[in-house]
Formats: sequence, C-alpha cells, structure tokens
Amino acid sequence: MTMRTQGALVRLVRSTLLFAMVLALLLPMIAASPAEALTVDSVTARSNQIGGNEVMGGRPVRVTWIGTVGPSESIESVVINLPDGVSPLLGDDASRRSEKLGGQPVSQDDQGSDQYSRVDVQVTSGSNRIEEDVTWVIDNERATVTFGKPVETGHKIQISVVNLVFPDADASYALTGSYTDDTGATRTFDSRAMQPIKVVARPPVEKLTDWLSDQPWVQQWNSFPVCQTFFKPQTAVSSVPALFVGWLRSLGLVLLGFPLAIPIGLAFSFLRMSKLAVLRFIASIYVNVIRGTPLFLQIYIIIFGLPMLGVNVDNYLLGIFVLAFNSSAYLAEIFRAGIQSIHKGQFEASASLGMNGAQTMFSVIIPQTVRRIIPTATSEFILLYKDTSLLAAVGVMELMMFSKSIVATSIDMTPYVVAAGYYLLVTLPLTKIIAAFEKKLAAAEGHTDEPPGKKKKRARRGSSGDSTAEDSHQENALQAAASAVGARGTGHAAGGEGS
Amino acid sequence: MTESNGVVIRIEDLHKSFGALDVLRGVDLNVARGEVVVILGPSGSGKSTLLRCVNLLEKPTAGDIWFEDTRVTDPATDVNKIREQVGMVFQSFNLFPHLSAKHNVMLAQRKVLKRTKEQAERIALEHLGKVGLADRVDYMPAQLSGGQQQRVAIARALAMDPHVMLFDEATSALDPELVRGVLDVMRALAQAGMTMIVVTHEMGFARDVADRAIFMDEGAIVEEGTPEQLFDDPQHERTKDFLGHII
Ligand SMILES: Nc1ncnc2c1ncn2[C@@H]1O[C@H](COP(=O)(O)OP(=O)(O)OP(=O)(O)O)[C@@H](O)[C@H]1O
Ligand SMILES: [Mg+2]
Repeated sequence: MTMRTQGALVRLVRSTLLFAMVLALLLPMIAASPAEALTVDSVTARSNQIGGNEVMGGRPVRVTWIGTVGPSESIESVVINLPDGVSPLLGDDASRRSEKLGGQPVSQDDQGSDQYSRVDVQVTSGSNRIEEDVTWVIDNERATVTFGKPVETGHKIQISVVNLVFPDADASYALTGSYTDDTGATRTFDSRAMQPIKVVARPPVEKLTDWLSDQPWVQQWNSFPVCQTFFKPQTAVSSVPALFVGWLRSLGLVLLGFPLAIPIGLAFSFLRMSKLAVLRFIASIYVNVIRGTPLFLQIYIIIFGLPMLGVNVDNYLLGIFVLAFNSSAYLAEIFRAGIQSIHKGQFEASASLGMNGAQTMFSVIIPQTVRRIIPTATSEFILLYKDTSLLAAVGVMELMMFSKSIVATSIDMTPYVVAAGYYLLVTLPLTKIIAAFEKKLAAAEGHTDEPPGKKKKRARRGSSGDSTAEDSHQENALQAAASAVGARGTGHAAGGEGS
Repeated sequence: MTESNGVVIRIEDLHKSFGALDVLRGVDLNVARGEVVVILGPSGSGKSTLLRCVNLLEKPTAGDIWFEDTRVTDPATDVNKIREQVGMVFQSFNLFPHLSAKHNVMLAQRKVLKRTKEQAERIALEHLGKVGLADRVDYMPAQLSGGQQQRVAIARALAMDPHVMLFDEATSALDPELVRGVLDVMRALAQAGMTMIVVTHEMGFARDVADRAIFMDEGAIVEEGTPEQLFDDPQHERTKDFLGHII
C-alpha cells in the first residue's frame, strides 16, 4: 500500500517537473508575442455610402484601429501601415492641389483642411478619456502616432485615419503595423486575425458623380445657388437611375388603375342613361360624390380606413383601386357625353336600314364614340398619371416617394426636378398625340377641305342648313363632355378646343 | 289582297300626336306600285312625321298602315323586316362618318341581309356607280360634298333592294348647284319604276316626275291630284296661298 503510494507520488513529482520545465521554456516565447503587450481590438472602415463593414473604393473613408495596452507595458508610439494601393490624401490630387502640400506628408500642423488625410486619436481608461499630447504624421506608406507621455497598461487607444482612399476594386484589406514601448523596443502587430476591411468597387454612377465633382465647370455651375439647389449635376446623374424604379412603379399604378377604371366607368355611364330612375340615381350619387371630393381625401379614407376594418391589403394594390374608382367616375361622364354626342340621325339612319339595336350600337355608335372620346379619355389618363403622386402621402412607393427619400440625403432639390422629367416623359408625348389625334378626328368628321391626295374646294358651306346644325350639335355635346371632365383640373388639354 | 290591287302602302286614318300636339289628324293615303307621290306643305304640317310613321321611326297614335301584305301598325310585326324593305333618305344625309362611301353602302347589307363581303361590295360599287360616284367609293363622308353625300345615302338605301323609297326633303340641305345631281338620281329612279314618296319643295321636279301631288296642312291632306291639277288649278284657299308663297 505504502509502496504503491510512494510510486504514485514519484510519478506525480516527475510529471510536474517536466511540465514546469516545458512551461519555463515556453513562457519567454509567449511573453515575446506582440499580442501579449498590445491587443488589437478592432479594425473598421466607415464611409457614408455603404452600410455594414463595407466601404466604396475610390472614395475617402475613415479607418479606425482600436488596441488595448497589455500588462506591464507603456506605449510611446504606434505605426499603422497603409496596405498596398491605399493612398492618403496628401494634397497631390489634381483637383485638391495645394501650394504647401504637393504630396508631402501631412501632420497635426496641417490640420484645418478637411480635404487632406488626418489622424484622430483618443485614449481611454474605462469610460474616462485620457488627455494626451499627440503628434502624428501621414505619408504614402504609413500613419505614425506618437504620444507625449506613454500610454499605460489597460488603456485603450483609438486611432482613426481619416480620408484614406482604397483602390476602386472589390477586395479586402487587413492592417499591419508596429508600436514602440517606453524601453524603446519595437514590436509589430498584425490584424489579419480580425475581420478584414471589405472594399467594393464604385458603381459607374458613383464614378460619374465623382468625376463631375472634379470638373471645374461643375464647380462653377454649382456656385450659383439656383443651379446648386435645383440642377446639381452630381445629384442629377445619381437620381436618374435611382428614380427609374419609382417611375416604373408610378407607371404601374396608372397602367393597372386606368384599364380597371374603363369597364367600371362604362358600367356607370350605362347606369346613368338607364330607363330606371333608381339606377340613374345610384349612378349619379357615385359619380358626383367621387368627382365632388378630393382624390387626396379618398386616398386617406381608403388607405387608412380599410386596415381599421381589418382589411389588410398591400398599399400599392389599394392605391391602384383608389385610382381606378376615382377615374371611373370621370370616365363615366366622358363615355356618357360621348354616346350622347352622337346625333340621333345616326340611330335613325341605322334603324331605317333595318339594323337592330345591337348592330347599331356596335357598328355605328360605339366606333364613333370611341374616336370622339379618345382625346378626353387620354387627358383623363394624363391627369390620373400625375395624381399617382398623391399616393406618396400615404407611403405608397412611387416616383414622388422615391424622390423624397433621395432629397433627404442629397439635401438639394434636384431629385424633384429629375422626377418632373420622368412625369413629362409620359405626359408630353401623350399631349402631342392627343393634339394630333384631334386634328385627324376633325379631318375625318368634316372640318378640313382636303380629300385624299387631291386638293379640292369643299362645296358645303355655312348656309347648307341641317348638316351644319348637326356638326355644331356634336361639338356642343363634346364641349359638355370636356367641361364635365374639366372639373378635375384646369390643365385639361383635350376636348374643349374643338371650337 | 293588297298586292293584287298594286298598292304598296296603304295608310288609313293615321293619327300622331306628340303629347298635346296633334301632328297628324287622320291621314288616308294609298301608294300604288311604281307610283311617285310628292307631298307638299308648309313647315310643321306633318310631312316628315307622316313619312317617319311609315317605317315606324315614329309610332302612330291611332290608325293603320299597311306595307304590302303586312300591317305595319300591328305590334307583332317585325319592325326591322319592314324597314329593310322601305328605304329612307334624310334631309341631313346621316351617313356614317367613320365609314367610307363604300362601307356606308355595305354595312347594312352585311349586317341585315347577311350578304357576303364580296356580294355586298359588288352591289355597293354598282349602286355608287349608278349615282355617279364610281370615283369616290373610298372617300370618307367628310371628304364629299353635300350632294355627293346625299347620293351615297341614296345608294345606301337602294342597296337593300327596297320596295319603296321615302325621301324627306332630300335636297333642302344642299347648295343650289348641288341640288340637280341629286334630283337627277331621283328622276332616274322614278323612271326605273321605283315606288316613291317624296317630300320636296322642288316644284319643277314634282311636275316632271310625280304621278300624284298631295298638299298637306295642319296634319291632314288638304288637296291632291296630278301635279298639273294641283299646281295650275288649286282648289283650296290654303293650297293657293302656299303655292303663291313658294313660286
Ligand atoms: N319628336 C317630336 N316631338 C315633339 N314634337 C315634334 C316631334 N317631331 C315633330 N314634332 C312637331 O310636329 C310638327 C310636325 O313636324 P314635321 O317635322 O312632321 O313637319 P314638316 O311638315 O316635316 O315640317 P318641315 O317642312 O319644317 O320639315 C311640328 O310642329 C314639330 O314641331
Ligand atoms: Mg320635315
């Protein structure tokens, strides 16, 4: 029993000794490793463009390095090496050229210009900030920070190198560097174990924006407040692609809403011409209530009201329906006026040839009605398209909403001007088409003197009685149609100009 | 049987009122096959209303109208069947403005008579040729003069092969120089044996073409006879008065 105990003890002592020897051999090596003296806590890069841990290449960014001073050490200086290709702004950039700084290193004495690289240093102990007299210098290879009195154990050093430019390509970077303690010993640190700085290449638009910013004529242009506020080239080029989706969404609203409004409007126009007084009454309430209240109000009622009833439909979809119902009331009046503008002689001529009601409607009345209402209906389309912007007030994502969100960061009003361009992109050609169509229509229905191919004096004159009376009847009815629609807005292009 | 008597249209004690306004007050009129009847009368005397009752564009208030063997005023009568065989030409032409001359003439042939496109087109061209518009078949109504439009309207009615043609002041809306072309077409039609009831103020035409002239006033037939009798030797004071104004 004793023997066995002794043997065990000897084994224990032996192995303990061996362990101690190994430890003694290893310790200096461990102590010599840089991590033991100064621990790198984090390396991050920040810019305004991209969130998360990414920055954009080709743009000045801020790189922040944070380290903690290890036990029984005090740090006199820290050097952060700039990775290959990463350049500081040293005043040698063509557009930022300075007399004093032609690629010369910058230091704390050069502060005062935001355009050059600089270093911000902060030393903290716990939550207390330690006042340090710091000097720094940045050249093309490195940023060197020297402390007036050494930073002591446990203190945290935060070094931000501001306005570093990474190469304009997708890549990741790890910072390396070194530090010197109060004994004069220099050790290196390596942050390769940390999360690297991810850099992404600038998209073409950003390149264009940066290029514009560097152009003297752009700077000249932007020196005028009106130009800078409403027509800033940099904002314009970035707004055009950014608003494109918003434009598509606005188009989507009207391209889905308007066709939906057509059958609804047609149905209500028939109801308004119904023989049954009840149906006429219902239709006239529908039409008059919708036309007599602001679309803005209707949007609020539907978009905020339906969710209160527990109906949860996507805002965009609801927007389409509000637009469709609103427009259907105007279209109902356009259709009604259009059908009623067809002279009764057309019905009588059809009847006298033995055509029944359906044949008359589809072969004679509707083709004429369609041709006549196309200008007014297109105007209604234009109005509705512009009115999609009202949906921005309730958060439907469309052109106006997109513009608002860009303006929030761009500060200037240029995105709104670009949005105006997107609206005009649709409304101007349509207005032109309406005008052309009205001209053609007028020609087809007897307001010009030209037979096809030939020039020939028209024989019909003002004195020719009934046929002239018919024309003016039709035009009066169309005028009525136009003014019926005109209630929506005075900027109404079509219908009323037929003299 | 009416047909055996050669009577195409028989109107018996026809009354028509618009509300309190009695427009027709007992009109009796027979029109024989091939006969051309001209109706004269002051404005508002009910001439148009009489014609429009024949093809039921107006619904008679009382009385009877027979078209061949069919009682037009019978509620069971297929109105469209009657209208198909009774052509009508309006003062204001009423061409379909969205269709070319040819298609104006083709439309009802296709829809009502169910003729093929080729048939309808052939017949359209034939009738347009007869009214002197062979070179205008593809013109839109707005590109035609009033006289040309009215001739297209006549061709349009004729293409339905009507048994009788009603003309309601077919030339009144035309400039004087265009009246002749239309009257020539009507004259040729009469000579070809078409049964016609013609409301007109064209005395010369009436004298030439009409087998019978009728003077209407205040919704009733005041006097009738051959054009010579009526124009040269009117019996009634009102007829004399009217003719005195018009000539
Ligand atoms: N649809 C209608 N509703 C009410 N009154 C009508 C209608 N159609 C015609 N009238 C009236 O009936 C009367 C006769 O009209 P109609 O058109 O038959 O006369 P007309 O003899 O053809 O006259 P004109 O030579 O002027 O064409 C007129 O007083 C007219 O005002
Ligand atoms: Mg008349």
